[in-house]
Amino acid sequence: MRVSLARIVLIAGTLVATGACATGEDWKMWQSHSTHFASGEHGFFSMRNNKDGSNPQVYRSDIEDSRQQNWWGLYAITVSPSQIFQN
Amino acid sequence: MPVNPSPSRRTRWWTVALLSAAFILGSWGVGAAAPDDALIPLERYSSTKAKTLASTHRRDMVRFYEHVYWCLPWLAIRNHTLGFPKRPGVEGDERYFSVMIDVDQTDDGSFAAMSRERRVSAMFSRYGLHILRQMLAMTKAASDDNVAGFSVALSWPKPGLPATQPVSETIALFVDKVSLAEFLAKRLPTADFVSRAKLSVFDGRDPVGLVKLDVWEDTFNSTYKLKNYEAPKEAKCS
Repeated sequence: MRVSLARIVLIAGTLVATGACATGEDWKMWQSHSTHFASGEHGFFSMRNNKDGSNPQVYRSDIEDSRQQNWWGLYAITVSPSQIFQN
Repeated sequence: MPVNPSPSRRTRWWTVALLSAAFILGSWGVGAAAPDDALIPLERYSSTKAKTLASTHRRDMVRFYEHVYWCLPWLAIRNHTLGFPKRPGVEGDERYFSVMIDVDQTDDGSFAAMSRERRVSAMFSRYGLHILRQMLAMTKAASDDNVAGFSVALSWPKPGLPATQPVSETIALFVDKVSLAEFLAKRLPTADFVSRAKLSVFDGRDPVGLVKLDVWEDTFNSTYKLKNYEAPKEAKCS
């Protein structure tokens, strides 16, 4: 019984220690990228290009994907187009 | 357990197979450019003049979009910024052929070492001028009496900040079409071009005070080759 309690405390402690600083946005992002590859596009890119880096091919869509999946981009502080242009 | 699947089962199998193939090819293949994401939607314009301009020049704008997409992959047109807006807070309905572009600018240390003025000038000289030249050359906007001028906004990651606190720097420049054409044809000195243009600079979302712009020739966009990337032949990049 004492062992079970210690286990529960340990697990709860680990969860708090690892997850307490994550925001809701972080959790959402993590939940949608829980596999080895960050995304399907990442996986397909890795399969298409040899592991040793020989014969690499970069498609335009790869560049777009990498730009869109750049995690820091999620938080970048940038000007809104409406501050520059008025439609 | 039937040995031969029923027709409906076979149809279902083929549907699954086709959908899977489409998914794989879609993720694997070259992907298609999506100009509608870049163009300002017609319903967002506040005047008939702007809507007419956007409809009249749509084909040229798509061609321009495709040029940036395929030939300058280190640049990305910000969604819904390609079109004919006006300068904010200015009376009247002067329309500028405009675009906002995000630049994948990496920093090897030298970029961060520059002053803001120097960074702004370098980015405009390298990307802004090239984009304005393409906008002028690839469209008939300059000969349209309803177009007052051209505008380009460039945004890039501000260097020297920790990866966890990314902030963009942005420059926006509006210029009348005659001054732009004369400057590009080397008939207007840089100082005159800069004094005629309307310039704004932002640090993140905040406008910063007066920034002195210098402009020089930079051939980066016409000479740089992205490693392992080949644009499709139909893109006609050169």
